[in-house]
Amino acid sequence: MFFESIKMNIKSQLEYKSSFIINSISQFFIFFTFYFMIIALFQKFNNIRGFTVYEVLLCFSIIQFGFAFTETFFRGIDRFEDLIIDGRLDRYLVRPRGILFQTLCSEIDLVKIFRIIQALIIMVIALIKLDITWNILKVMVLIFMMIASILIFFGLFVLTASYCFITVQGLEVKNLLTDGGKNLAQYPISIYRKGVVFVFTFIIPYGFINYYPLLYFLGKTNNILYLFSPFMVLLFLIPCLLSFKIGLKHYNSVGS
Amino acid sequence: MKAYFNYFKLRVITNLQYRAAALAGISTQFFFGITYIMLYLALYESNTSANVPMDLQSLVTYLWLQQSFFALIYPFLKDQDLLKMIKNGNLAYELIRPQSFYFKFYIKMISERLVAASLRCLPIIIVGLLLPSPYKLGLPASVESFLLFIVSLSLSCLLVSALSMIIHIITLFTIDSRGIISGYSVIAEVFMGAVIPLPFFPNFLIKIGNYLPFRFIGDFPYRVYSGSISVIEGRNLLFGSISWLIIAIIVGYLISKVALKKAVIQGG
Repeated sequence: MFFESIKMNIKSQLEYKSSFIINSISQFFIFFTFYFMIIALFQKFNNIRGFTVYEVLLCFSIIQFGFAFTETFFRGIDRFEDLIIDGRLDRYLVRPRGILFQTLCSEIDLVKIFRIIQALIIMVIALIKLDITWNILKVMVLIFMMIASILIFFGLFVLTASYCFITVQGLEVKNLLTDGGKNLAQYPISIYRKGVVFVFTFIIPYGFINYYPLLYFLGKTNNILYLFSPFMVLLFLIPCLLSFKIGLKHYNSVGS
Repeated sequence: MKAYFNYFKLRVITNLQYRAAALAGISTQFFFGITYIMLYLALYESNTSANVPMDLQSLVTYLWLQQSFFALIYPFLKDQDLLKMIKNGNLAYELIRPQSFYFKFYIKMISERLVAASLRCLPIIIVGLLLPSPYKLGLPASVESFLLFIVSLSLSCLLVSALSMIIHIITLFTIDSRGIISGYSVIAEVFMGAVIPLPFFPNFLIKIGNYLPFRFIGDFPYRVYSGSISVIEGRNLLFGSISWLIIAIIVGYLISKVALKKAVIQGG
């Protein structure tokens, strides 16, 4: 059913072809600036606390992949305040499916699919240049990192959506957590000072997504525990989903 | 003239309503400032022998100024009122008003930026000045460079608004606004040094940047403050700033005339 609604969404967006093309191109360029920053900086510097440019690009492309994926396919939850404000949520409540599920089905933003592709391209380039001795564990850790990256942004979106129950309006703190966090996590988290590392490892677990597993992936450590560190994101999902449930229980319609 | 001034006053009062947004803005700016500084610190510390184009203190100062005056000169401002008017045709009403359409919206944009920036910049500057050494917002290199900073920053705000006006008016011809505005913003952001400061660019991009108006918006004021651009060079750059401003206003004004003449009112 989720795929069915995705298909419908794609169809409707492709109706406006020229606008779709212009937007896709500009999407591609906007996100190129992030990569541009990294590449330009590494023209002047050759490492950042021991990480080389391709290691940083790999680190960033994983985060970027998760963010782009969530923004593309889970757009509805990102724009949850709209659902509350225009009363669509009330309609969802009377339908025999989960609210979260319906929200996910409600909207996808096809234009942003180019960011996913872009992130994957950068990832592949980084992987080729890095000269990694592949084995089954390394493939596993890469897949774990990518899935965890999707899940963390999903969790953050759900968390801020549940905040909308209280405030109705969207929240700028959300940009701080997602955009800001994403910005911060584009580099291996160890380059920052201790306080920042603590917050973005144990409170919002960015560190478990693209730092600890990355160390294992790059062969900087052999500790097998690091391989499974992306699973920490599941712990993070629990309070997110819980707060959404609580918010929903206390939801008052804004009226129509 | 008086009508424009009154309009300006009205817009300032309206915009002052958004104080909560300013608070959120401050925290975002602060967060970005700190993370960028930490990033550059890590880069400088792990490459002590590297040939860096800016010393650390001017770079940190640059980053703080950038965060403090973000609202004054960010290029991706979208005037929703204007865009909506263009889309739904209410622009036609503007044609019967006695004031110039162009200058009315130009003033609206400037006032919006001024209010947003004046609500945000002081807390960030004060905290920046009080921070301990590597994170500190430095003092200006000299009285003269400080004066140049003030003048060039004011020109920046005027210039970025004039350029925004051009982009907004162009959407009159295309209807779809999202692609054009975001495409323009990317180029502007890169070449005004919002992503990384201009001196860190590869050489060929610096050359391109010198021919574009955007370096006068972000790069020039922030670097002249810390002395990374000398006072003499700054004085010369001021001419560039002023000429780009005049060009941008004239171009914007002319195409607004053409656009309005051509405007087809789509139904009533």
